[in-house]
Amino acid sequence: MTKVNLAGAAAIALAALTVAACGKAAPSTSSSSSQSSQSNAAPSATSALKPTTPAPSGEAGKITWATYRDVGTIDPIQAFDYPENTVITTLCDSLQRQAPDGSIGPGLATLTHPDDKTLVITLKDGPTFWDGKPVTADDVLFSLKRAADPKGGGFYPAVFTRVQSMAKTSDKVVTVKLKQPDFWLDGELSQMPGVVLEQAYGVSRGRKLGTPQGGLMCSGPFKVGSWKAGSTLNVVRNESYWDAANKAKVAEIDFRGVPDDASMTSGFLTGGIDGSYPQGLSTIDQLRAAKDKVTVSKGPSFASDAIVISSLKGALGDVRVRQALSLAIDRKAYIQNVYHGDAQLPRTLANPGTWGYGKDVFQADWDKRPDPAPDVAKAKQLIQQAGANGKTITLGMTSEVQQLATAANAVRSAGEAIGLKVKFKAVSAQNFINFFTDPKARKGIDGFPTVNYPDYADPAAFYNTIVMPDGSQNYDAFDDPQITKAMNDARSAADPAQRARFVAQAGDRIMQQLPWIPMAAINTVLITSSKLTGAPVSFAFMGGPWANLLGSTGNGS
Amino acid sequence: MGSFVARRAAMLVAALLVSSFVIFGSLDLAPGDPLSTLTGGRTLPAEAVTQLRAQYHLDDPFLVRYVDWLGNAVLHGDLGTSIAFRGSVTSVIGARAAVTMGLVAYAGLLIVLFGVGLGVVSGLRRGALDTSIVASTSVLAAVPSFVAAIVLLSIFSVNLGWFPALGAGEGFADRIVHLTLPAIALALSAMAIVVRVTRVAVRTEMGREHVQTAVSRGIPYALMVRRHVLRNAAIPVTTVVGITITSLIALSAVVERAFSLDGLGAALVQAALSKDFAVVQGISLVFVAAFVVANVLVDLLYAVLDPRVAIGSRAT
Repeated sequence: MTKVNLAGAAAIALAALTVAACGKAAPSTSSSSSQSSQSNAAPSATSALKPTTPAPSGEAGKITWATYRDVGTIDPIQAFDYPENTVITTLCDSLQRQAPDGSIGPGLATLTHPDDKTLVITLKDGPTFWDGKPVTADDVLFSLKRAADPKGGGFYPAVFTRVQSMAKTSDKVVTVKLKQPDFWLDGELSQMPGVVLEQAYGVSRGRKLGTPQGGLMCSGPFKVGSWKAGSTLNVVRNESYWDAANKAKVAEIDFRGVPDDASMTSGFLTGGIDGSYPQGLSTIDQLRAAKDKVTVSKGPSFASDAIVISSLKGALGDVRVRQALSLAIDRKAYIQNVYHGDAQLPRTLANPGTWGYGKDVFQADWDKRPDPAPDVAKAKQLIQQAGANGKTITLGMTSEVQQLATAANAVRSAGEAIGLKVKFKAVSAQNFINFFTDPKARKGIDGFPTVNYPDYADPAAFYNTIVMPDGSQNYDAFDDPQITKAMNDARSAADPAQRARFVAQAGDRIMQQLPWIPMAAINTVLITSSKLTGAPVSFAFMGGPWANLLGSTGNGS
Repeated sequence: MGSFVARRAAMLVAALLVSSFVIFGSLDLAPGDPLSTLTGGRTLPAEAVTQLRAQYHLDDPFLVRYVDWLGNAVLHGDLGTSIAFRGSVTSVIGARAAVTMGLVAYAGLLIVLFGVGLGVVSGLRRGALDTSIVASTSVLAAVPSFVAAIVLLSIFSVNLGWFPALGAGEGFADRIVHLTLPAIALALSAMAIVVRVTRVAVRTEMGREHVQTAVSRGIPYALMVRRHVLRNAAIPVTTVVGITITSLIALSAVVERAFSLDGLGAALVQAALSKDFAVVQGISLVFVAAFVVANVLVDLLYAVLDPRVAIGSRAT
């Protein structure tokens, strides 16, 4: 009997070896796919993408949600990446609330501006923490001060740079005085910096807050169930959620880190995983095909695929060379290759999904701008004018991440088509991060590809990091007076439409100056078991409530 | 016996000391920044970076950090703080050790049962059975565990739905079900090697003079096999089984990742990629200790199996 088993297993193993070989080759998007055949591949209209999925008809039991790695912390001020944000948005409420379409409205509180330099935060009646205690102005003040404290170990003190003082002015009110008008702060308070924690709990836990030992005390639709360091994090429904209309329909969620694309895929196919917002899953087409088990949806996103210009000292220091390079890139082919069509041609550096306010203004700006189209003749002309023919640019890249490698190759073929020499500085996938964090790693390179996003739906929140002289991603002191002025005007503009006009103006100028070269405006992808529905298919999962919208489809469960 | 234990304990301490220094040093030399793991590639504001570097002592000289770590580990049993998990390394290890130990034990059991069992059968019975065992083990020995994992997953989990694809399960029975495919994936190629070594050992013993004599004296076959063949063949088999099972501890990383198990191996890989020094250090030392202990057990087994072998000396 054993012999049969073993021999059988051997045969299966052999057969599967070939299967595995095929399976590997298929998703890796043959980078040489025909470029001309997909003329209608990348949609340029923005209206087609809906940020929501059909509303659920019933409750669901325990589900498993996959993130690309295990959650490290649930301390909001240390959340800066997909796994942490995905979980904390289920546990906590912010002062403001991000809706699936990116618009921002009252959350735990209502924000008002009696004058340009004063922000009044008035708590709603009724919000309570998981332990039943009411959310008070003291808790708000504690949480804001904690987030603003440069020694607090958090990532968000820069958000509060224009804050003069914060004080409790009544049981329900915190008043923030500003050094200069700052309407970006409102948006930030819809995200991690605006999360309100219970003061008494936070003080008692100190540095352990947000760790498996320290836990958390928030007011959100779910509360922490069980969690061990570096392993599955379990959250359970908050049965006494203060916002009864938005009470969760799912009883429990296990958040599991699944770093491997193959296990993610088999997890979905076997029912071991019920949902995920994946970032570039190579097996997405396989899951799309399994329609009876899995629903794959796409919607707007905050994320932009772009080439960072990290040095203005080389050939790319000349704006004409940046423009020429941008003109020569075949983005349609790139989008088809990398995103299988799930991205738009970028008419601005910021993704249309970031229009959380002033939508008409941004839409009008988008409509009047052309789709970026390759124009090699014009690009060559610009190179001639700049006298850059034959000059070398060096790109940081890694060949281990398909999207980054394809982007670098797209830039290389564009550069070579217009008479530039393009060299690569290739590093391992793990070390790619150093281009962002280590000036030494950036030495000798002119740029590198990235996918990047702001914390809330405002193009300015993205541009801010790139074009402002103190921007965290402004690597070589890019400073364009017109852009800086438009951005500062936007920051001080109380009226959203007016603010949008300034931001759009900055965005137009950014497309002309190209501090970064946009590659694609990518979509959010949501995968759920076909028994689940209701989750937003937008970037709201990073900053707003999402899991409480999930529920059963009512069929097949 | 006492001196044997003392000698081995001293060896263990020395091994741990040397390897901790080597691991610490090589992590220090490797490029990459542990802070990057906190942000998933986004750029942190400069003040936050400064604050974090100070908090985790990332800018202290190498030797200072190593001595600090060593002092805490020896004096307080504190293996340091994981940057990625914001928790103590001991808690990370504690939460994950059971899964890896279960997986390795399960795989080890499979290796002993099927590896030795089939090897003995194959060694005693010439013919079609033997040939097919030899043929299939040649193939299996060459299948790396990540391939085995993919194959098992796609057949028994995705297509047939007999076993879960992810996770380690809760409670004993559930855990067994969850760990079955991972244990098979982990054991398969090692098992094939054990089969072949056992087969050769049995065959060699069968050809030896005292066995031939026993046969000619009319000693019952079963008794002859048990007393004269298996007992003598056990020494090389124990060596190979010992080595393969200890090597499973390191290999478990691959399988844990493929089946998304929260085990030590998967955590070690993740931590090494993100340069989470303390976790790499802690888990590596657990592995080193497990290696040493497993070797001690093998040595003890020699003495049990063969009275001529003195405790602590190498059997051949």
